[in-house]
Amino acid sequence: MHIPDGLLDPVTTVILWIVAVLVLIIAFWRLNILFQDEESERLIPYIGVLAATIFAFQFVNYPVPGGTSGHLVGGTLVGVILGPWAAVIVLFMVLVVQSLFGDGGITALGANTFNMGVIGGIVGFYIVKALLLIFNKTELKKEIKVPIATAIGSYIAIVLAAFICGIEIGIGGIIPMDIAIAAMVFWHVLIGIGEAIISGLIVWFVYKTKPELIITEKMLGVA
Amino acid sequence: MVELERYKWPIISIIVIIGVLMLMIAIGFMLGILSEDPDGLERALIDIRSEEWLEGLASPWEPILGWIDNDYIAGIIGILLTIFLIIAVFSLISHISKKMKSKNE
Repeated sequence: MHIPDGLLDPVTTVILWIVAVLVLIIAFWRLNILFQDEESERLIPYIGVLAATIFAFQFVNYPVPGGTSGHLVGGTLVGVILGPWAAVIVLFMVLVVQSLFGDGGITALGANTFNMGVIGGIVGFYIVKALLLIFNKTELKKEIKVPIATAIGSYIAIVLAAFICGIEIGIGGIIPMDIAIAAMVFWHVLIGIGEAIISGLIVWFVYKTKPELIITEKMLGVA
Repeated sequence: MVELERYKWPIISIIVIIGVLMLMIAIGFMLGILSEDPDGLERALIDIRSEEWLEGLASPWEPILGWIDNDYIAGIIGILLTIFLIIAVFSLISHISKKMKSKNE
């Protein structure tokens, strides 16, 4: 899903950079409120580790049938654990490091942040929140329903991000939009299964080992 | 003075998780379970155009760490760099928010 340099047209590139920067500024401001709490700074090392986990999981490609491979994007996963605004900042920083290695373009950083951070992190988080409204009517424990909602939300968010990515590529005109969207959605319908399984398992594992790290329970309505 | 006792468990957790991540990457490469195939976007572009076309896309810069051709070393450097950057950014956010809070009080 990492868009390389030279694929998007200049207008799309600039617009997505502006959107990404605006969202990052809002995220920075929103996190300021969270970090006014004295105890919150103890979270920082864990946020670093979570970001490194996302980097490592984005680095390892698992095989997908049809001669392609997939890797975790992790936007929704970070959104569920740390909140949607922290997810945008974490994904942006991970993408910056990856671009230093040539994985994803530097001019396309705005677009990649939009697709993986904004769609994956913010939209994915609210999909999970909506799913939990339904799951809250069941007898399921939060340790079960949050991971299940995360898995489904991650899947929907990754396919949606692929759809948006197809539109962005199509606008540039290098590839016809209908073909770009169809190809992106087709492959990510398969890749999303891995995203869903890994995200759900990590949230389940965090609930089992260090549940206090999931600081979004109130926002998600499961506290 | 940094209260080391306060950060004992976060630091231990970081070291353990970094170790696990490095092991995960090492085992993945050693056993060959990690796929060298293109990912979803690359596959879509290769199917529509070609691999040569994808590799020939113009970039305005040469990635600073692009010279590291060993995936395992790149993974370790990336993990450490990510932790460093994230801790720096979130410490800055925490510092600014505490400064703003004390100004308001």
